[in-house]
Amino acid sequence: MSTTLIPATAPPPARVDLSGIGPPLHGAGALRQVLVLSGRSLRVLREPALLVPNLIEPFLLLLLFSQVFRSLAQVPSFPDGVSYIDYLLPAVLISMGMTSGVKSGLLLSTDLRNGVITRFRTMPLWTGAVLLARSFADAALNAVELLFLLVIGALLFGYAPAGGIAGALGAMLVALSLAWSVGWVFMALTTLLRRPESLQQIGGMLTFPLMFASNAFVTTDGLPTWLRAFAEVNPLTHAINAARGLALGAATPSMVLWPLCMCAVTVLVAAPVAMRGFRRP
Amino acid sequence: MIEVAGLTKAFGATRALEGVSFTVPEGTVLGLIGHNGAGKTSLINILSTLLPPTSGTARVAGYDVVRQGAQVRARIGLTGQFASIDETMSGRDNLILLARLLGAGRRAAASRVAYLLEIFRLSTVANRAARTYSGGMRRRLDLAASIVGRPQVIFLDEPTTGLDPEARHDAWDLVQQLVDDGTTVLLTTQYLEEADRLAKSIVVLAAGRVLASGTPAQLKAEVGERSVTVVLGDGAVGPAALAALERANLTGTYDRARRSVTVPIHDAAMVAEVVGCMNEAGARLDGLTVVEPTLDDVYLSLKGSAATGSE
Ligand SMILES: Nc1ncnc2c1ncn2[C@@H]1O[C@H](COP(=O)(O)OP(=O)(O)OP(=O)(O)O)[C@@H](O)[C@H]1O
Ligand SMILES: [Mg+2]
Repeated sequence: MSTTLIPATAPPPARVDLSGIGPPLHGAGALRQVLVLSGRSLRVLREPALLVPNLIEPFLLLLLFSQVFRSLAQVPSFPDGVSYIDYLLPAVLISMGMTSGVKSGLLLSTDLRNGVITRFRTMPLWTGAVLLARSFADAALNAVELLFLLVIGALLFGYAPAGGIAGALGAMLVALSLAWSVGWVFMALTTLLRRPESLQQIGGMLTFPLMFASNAFVTTDGLPTWLRAFAEVNPLTHAINAARGLALGAATPSMVLWPLCMCAVTVLVAAPVAMRGFRRP
Repeated sequence: MIEVAGLTKAFGATRALEGVSFTVPEGTVLGLIGHNGAGKTSLINILSTLLPPTSGTARVAGYDVVRQGAQVRARIGLTGQFASIDETMSGRDNLILLARLLGAGRRAAASRVAYLLEIFRLSTVANRAARTYSGGMRRRLDLAASIVGRPQVIFLDEPTTGLDPEARHDAWDLVQQLVDDGTTVLLTTQYLEEADRLAKSIVVLAAGRVLASGTPAQLKAEVGERSVTVVLGDGAVGPAALAALERANLTGTYDRARRSVTVPIHDAAMVAEVVGCMNEAGARLDGLTVVEPTLDDVYLSLKGSAATGSE
């Protein structure tokens, strides 16, 4: 005798109507894809818990720098009639732009480790979409941080540059351009190295000396000769000059256009490298 | 619909594929079976443009996977061996993201996704982050993700691994319906029952080579013979039963412990002959089973012959 527990005829499976899913889809346009992916990366803006640290950072930076370096405004080479906060704040903007650029690379390496990236690679997705979305989202986030810095600078630290609001926004745009170009460099490095740890080190190694061997916190006149020579070719010095010039209402066109062109050229070189690196399996 | 010719793939010194060729006609399922490391995933990854082949050609939906990758990607869906979803997003947001990237408008994406969540029984967990999903839920989300865009060709790499029986039957049903709808499916599996049940043809891969291919019936016919097993009632009739079989030119084996006699047969009509012999021997029958060879038999015997062949 044997007993069967499974009925000879299995219950008929529930037939689902596949046509209910809808017609075949073959891929959105490249621009739409970039926007959709940027929206996904910007979820951070909707989550206060993720956004708050990003806003505390500029506040701390401003607080520390303004207190630690305030005495520098007394040195003879410091420009007359400019308060130290008016001198410092554009440099903090640039410093944050630089950091944001390095962060782009790190965030991209997180993106690349996400399981969904494998799916993206089998979908009709434009190669640049993921990278450009990262760049857009980071620019948006960076803009929020920079604006926040300007606002607390004005409200809490007495930031009132001669260039007025237009000048301050101009300085912010210079910082954004810098973040954008540094971002592409670090995204290119990410797609080539695929190693977030080494990326962080490279970022630190670059940011620190570039910021301090520049006119960010002191005028270059007071520096030793060799350091001054370096500071004067340091691209950050030029970016800071542009931002500071705009904020203080003392910018000349070449002062602003030169760093902006450098940013654009950097992106033109780094973006294709990043795309090629991204395509690599 | 899928044409693979002389495909090889080397990872450094490891040769994952060594000249694989087969075709999958439109609207059919090909089952790819093979041991761990046989090269199934490498093959699927090449066909879905994730990996470039070392040599050979592969065409999917009429397009070359190397030179026309973009056209291929516009027509395929992949459920990989490991879930490719964004763990930080909810199931719903995952699917909506994909639908939007594939070109659905905001509202169309929402209704498409609601429907998919329903048929994959994910509606109740749809708004939870995917990292909180069980293995089976993740698998189902991944399956849903690969058909969001209703692709022409679908690759399923061990699609039912980790699914409970109900979900597995759902998945089988889904594959059947995809095929009824004209979709071409290439699936790999460790479950021979699955290949047997779904696939119109089967390719057995071993160490990067095609060991055998054909319909499930052909493969079975190659190794297996059918047999009939009768369970005898009370009484020491085993020897008598064997004698009766011998008189009818049949050979049986008697299993004393189970009190059963097994007789190889080559067509179904012989079942009656076997029963006749048992009556002649005066044996009362307590049970009768016809045993068909399974793909497991095929697989094991092919593996065995391959092993002896290479030594
Ligand atoms: N990226 C890689 N680098 C090096 N070797 C690899 C890589 N991917 C696969 N291999 C090797 O290629 C061979 C085939 O692997 P593959 O993943 O295709 O097997 P499989 O048939 O899918 O196995 P399983 O049933 O375990 O999933 C294995 O020897 C594996 O170690
Ligand atoms: Mg595999």
